[in-house]
Amino acid sequence: MFWHVFLYRFKCLFRDKETVFWTLIFPILLATLFYLAFGHLTIEKEKFNPIVAAVVNNGAYQGNIPFKRMMESLSEEGDSQVLTLILTNKEEAEALLKEGAVSGVITVSDTIGLTVKESGINQSILKAILDDYGQTAKVITSILSENPEAAAFFFEELGNQRNYTEQASFSGAAPETNVAYFYALIAMACMYSAFWGLRNIIDIQPDLSATGARRSLAPTHKIKVILADGLAALSISFAEIVILLVFLRLVLGISFGDCFRFILLTCFIGCIAGVSFGNFIGTVIRGNESLKNGILIGASMAMSFLAGLMWVDMKNIVSSKAPVLSYINPAALISDAFYSLYIFDTHKRFFINIALLCVISTVMYAVSFTRLRGEKYASI
Amino acid sequence: MQVFKVYFKVMRGSAVPLVINLGIFLGIAILFSAVAPKVSVANFEATKTPIAVVNRDGNTELVQSFINYLGRSYRLVSYPDNEESLQDALFYRDVEYIAIIPPGFSDAFISDKDPVIKKITVPDSVSSHYVDMHIDKFFNTVRLHSLYGKAESKTKMIAAAIADLDIDTQVTMRTSGKPDSLNEPYSHYYAYCAYALLAMIITGISSVMITFNELNLHMRNLCAPLSKRNIGLQLAIGHSIFALGCWGILMLGSFILYGRDLFPSGLIPLYAFNTLTFAVVSAGIGFLIGGFVRNSSAQAGAINVIALGMSFLGGVFVPQQVMGEPVLSVAKFLPSYWFIKANNAISGLSAFTPDILGSIYHMILIQAAFAGVIFVITLLLSDRKTGLLSHCR
Repeated sequence: MFWHVFLYRFKCLFRDKETVFWTLIFPILLATLFYLAFGHLTIEKEKFNPIVAAVVNNGAYQGNIPFKRMMESLSEEGDSQVLTLILTNKEEAEALLKEGAVSGVITVSDTIGLTVKESGINQSILKAILDDYGQTAKVITSILSENPEAAAFFFEELGNQRNYTEQASFSGAAPETNVAYFYALIAMACMYSAFWGLRNIIDIQPDLSATGARRSLAPTHKIKVILADGLAALSISFAEIVILLVFLRLVLGISFGDCFRFILLTCFIGCIAGVSFGNFIGTVIRGNESLKNGILIGASMAMSFLAGLMWVDMKNIVSSKAPVLSYINPAALISDAFYSLYIFDTHKRFFINIALLCVISTVMYAVSFTRLRGEKYASI
Repeated sequence: MQVFKVYFKVMRGSAVPLVINLGIFLGIAILFSAVAPKVSVANFEATKTPIAVVNRDGNTELVQSFINYLGRSYRLVSYPDNEESLQDALFYRDVEYIAIIPPGFSDAFISDKDPVIKKITVPDSVSSHYVDMHIDKFFNTVRLHSLYGKAESKTKMIAAAIADLDIDTQVTMRTSGKPDSLNEPYSHYYAYCAYALLAMIITGISSVMITFNELNLHMRNLCAPLSKRNIGLQLAIGHSIFALGCWGILMLGSFILYGRDLFPSGLIPLYAFNTLTFAVVSAGIGFLIGGFVRNSSAQAGAINVIALGMSFLGGVFVPQQVMGEPVLSVAKFLPSYWFIKANNAISGLSAFTPDILGSIYHMILIQAAFAGVIFVITLLLSDRKTGLLSHCR
């Protein structure tokens, strides 16, 4: 009997085109829009490219040999190229600056000056380069005035600048901030599984739908019906999330880390949390279907917002300013589970998320079950 | 004017989704304009990259002066020496550079062993280069002083090096005279108006259209002594007043929220013209959807797909500058792209010269052309439909 109920429930849900749209097509569409609007690569955009700067090619510049040499060495093509220089006259340089073709204009006279149009990192680097030149000149004067004999070795040492930093990383994962949008999107899709949970409740409660009334008359044990319904909802939503995941991974190329089984586990637990949330709303909120639907949409949107769907920093802000909120928000837990799998080598934080999701789902199931169990109807 | 009166009775049924859309919009607009960085443009300000320094070497003189030196050029954010929270911070760009000073760094440095600071950054990023420059400069200068300087003590040696580093190149700002207002909160507000206009106007107009297009009701209306033309005209007046009302509410919202900055800018007529044109476009789309869609669930789907799709692709939520070239070239076929382009042009307006104004009007005209095409398509399609209906009879 159980499998019979399950099969027909599955067919019923599967044919509900509207809910399939919201739980499957809509997340895929939103993911595509995210991808088209800002892509998934953060790092590519932050990459260092040689800064284009104009130098006013006057007598003072040509006469200042050390400075000219420094500029030339910085703009030498290769891996360590810092500048792309345009040597030109003053008017042309100003025109280039105005139209935004160069980040800044370097002018040599008695002193060396920089002209920019806006404050930004490229302009700051240009300034730092010019500062560097001034600082080196100052070091030379101050040391040679103290210790004139050093001159013989000093200049050789001056050319021998050393590097004092070395790139390291905590784990193999690159800090691609934008992938978090897609994690929050999966969290939203998981929370949308609640639509299936809610439909199940509506179709089983006699006071909410004709189907519910008819099914309550059937001699099948209610717990069997509830479990079969729940399993059907879970199967559909899990299948949908897996489709979404495959789409994100294979079509859009979003990285999830390498732990495939844990990724699936997160999806599965996420679906359980979503379906149980739908059951919870369906049983706890008193009112008609549209009210329940409205609350469900509002609540899942609010949770997804706090999980960083609209603004990726939100999740981090919540977890630092109001940590409790991120421990009870299933959407934040789901997206944090994905994030932990992606960025950390250890799985401690991942399992904390999963455990909390299990606890929240259990509580929501328990509440809805006790509500459903105790129902008696004097009249419908 | 029976039809006109009924129009707003039907509209009342969509009051809840309309208010929700308005509420979401105002919420987003206020939130985003509150967090949008305001760039001051009067003077040059070097970028203060946020960095975290993890000191595992203890409070040696060298390390302390180094951290103080970094603090002059960057924004130091203090984080505990905890891998997880540092990784979180870098991922969300709370810090863009993590410098870990290993134990024994100072001793190794003094004995000229070239120790290194471990940096954890977005690999090969601009900010990583920028911070590297200062770190290398600091230690190279101290090294030169320790090798060739004649300072009596370590303290004096470091102080001499820091004195040499105290150089501030003169930077001149060439501004166009008026601050760049792309980052003004009202500029964001008007950009988000695109989403609000689409969502609200499409919801309202298509709801009324669905009601009037319901087959039985439509057939009954055809029997009425009112001419089809008359009914159509009254509906059109209803659509126009509704769209104007939505636009008016959003304009009023901008006056209330940003009036103080907005009125002196002199940009209101341009913003108003741009948003009004987009309202007409939205009305056209609402009209088109109302003609196609039969029930409210399909309507909700269509509205979300269109409003979110147009907003994302047109650059409402994510600035056009950030979007990729191929996407933008496709987005040119969307009115929202031109709306945002015009909005950016208005916000960045430095002078009311005829050629700049001309280019803004051009962008607005393109939107108007979109609206015209959409209306024509809808009318052609609806004519075909009525034709089919008469066939049925």
